[in-house]
Amino acid sequence: MITTAQDEINLYVFAVRAALGDLPESLRDELLEDLPEHLAEVVADGEGSLTERLGSPEAYAEDLRTTAGFVGGFPDPPRRAAQLIELRERALVHLRRLDARLGPLVGAAHVSEFLVLLRPAWWVLRGYLMAMVVAWLLDDSGQPIGLLPRIGGSEVVALLLLAIGVLASIWFGRRSLQLAKWPQRALYAGSVILVLVALAGFSEADSNRRDANYTDVNYDNPYSNIEDLFVYDEQGRLVTNARIFDQNGSPLRLGNAYCYDDQGNYVDVQRLTYPYCADRDPFRMPAASASADPGAGDASGAPGANGPGPVPTADGSYPAAPSADPTTTPSGNPSLGSSANPSPSSSARPASVSPSPR
Amino acid sequence: MHRVDTTQLLKGVLDLACLAALRDEDGYGYDILRRLRTSGLTEVGDASVYGTLRRLFNAGLLTTYVVPSDEGPHRKYYALNAAGRAELQRSGKIWHGFASTMDDLLRERETA
Repeated sequence: MITTAQDEINLYVFAVRAALGDLPESLRDELLEDLPEHLAEVVADGEGSLTERLGSPEAYAEDLRTTAGFVGGFPDPPRRAAQLIELRERALVHLRRLDARLGPLVGAAHVSEFLVLLRPAWWVLRGYLMAMVVAWLLDDSGQPIGLLPRIGGSEVVALLLLAIGVLASIWFGRRSLQLAKWPQRALYAGSVILVLVALAGFSEADSNRRDANYTDVNYDNPYSNIEDLFVYDEQGRLVTNARIFDQNGSPLRLGNAYCYDDQGNYVDVQRLTYPYCADRDPFRMPAASASADPGAGDASGAPGANGPGPVPTADGSYPAAPSADPTTTPSGNPSLGSSANPSPSSSARPASVSPSPR
Repeated sequence: MHRVDTTQLLKGVLDLACLAALRDEDGYGYDILRRLRTSGLTEVGDASVYGTLRRLFNAGLLTTYVVPSDEGPHRKYYALNAAGRAELQRSGKIWHGFASTMDDLLRERETA
């Protein structure tokens, strides 16, 4: 042990006192009145730690209890419980052995001695947890509480409540060792509930932290519903077999590389160019199949008849020149010479029927 | 049945043993423990002796005085007073009677 002899004695007396926790305070004080001085004599008279020479503080307390003539705790249990009691005692024996064996790992003769040292830390944590529970019960502002016991989102109230909780817990902790058996058990039960609340709160806070990193990816992706991609040129004509790249030259893959044909059968797309399913062109005219027949004489091939239409200029008017360019509108050629266009859709757009003089 | 073991027997006679250990010479707690152990009561524990001495003192059978020490802590010495000596004599008689009864009982059983 690294501790001084006096520390060792204090620790030992503290543990014995804790083990006699069920006795009335006056009785216990009287019983332990001379113990520090007595242990000092023991330490001065020999070698080795107190625990090595006198056994565990708990065993010491038991000896003291019986020789001092006090019987603490419960009356004799009924016989039915005898087996359970025996099981418990056997478990306790193993626990004590483990207690002593693992002690050196934390620099003490027994793990329990180390845990006794940690008790005030638990008091502080308990105060915080109680403050959180109180805040959770009283807060009806609907705002998230966060990690401080805020009521109505107020930081001042939170810090005040935290201070009260911690101080009350410490005050209570220093007196709880003297509680009788049943209040003591109620205290343990309350502690267990607090620990469960703490675990639930911790796991919630933990998962909140982790999820925050993925928010941008998981939500609000505007491209998540895309099945296919249609590219149109300036005149609004569908570009088939298009390939799309980003600024790094990496191909962009959007949509699903399969189609359903007219009979509704599933067809895999072999060429990964857009659109995958050209016949699903969202701007196609209902009579689009007729446009394939140049003899029909209609103007279905003209811009506006299919495709999203020409790119609007800044003032909103449609540019006239491109529509008159014969090389870019091969299907429009037959109707170029006629001044009157019979197609209703074409006549609706004056710009498209005013070819340049050329 | 309750098996007879020294720890159980000690509980009944520890008062008497401590009184007896102080008959010839005063002593402090750990000192008395050593006397009992060298006498053969090896299983007696420190807590038992400490508790017993306090109880005997509270019962008015012992007096105490503190002896300062240059090296190490002050020591609290226990001594028999008149009531303690009377109690030692009375309890001693009861023990002798009890012990000889047990001896006789065991001897009869063994020879029978």
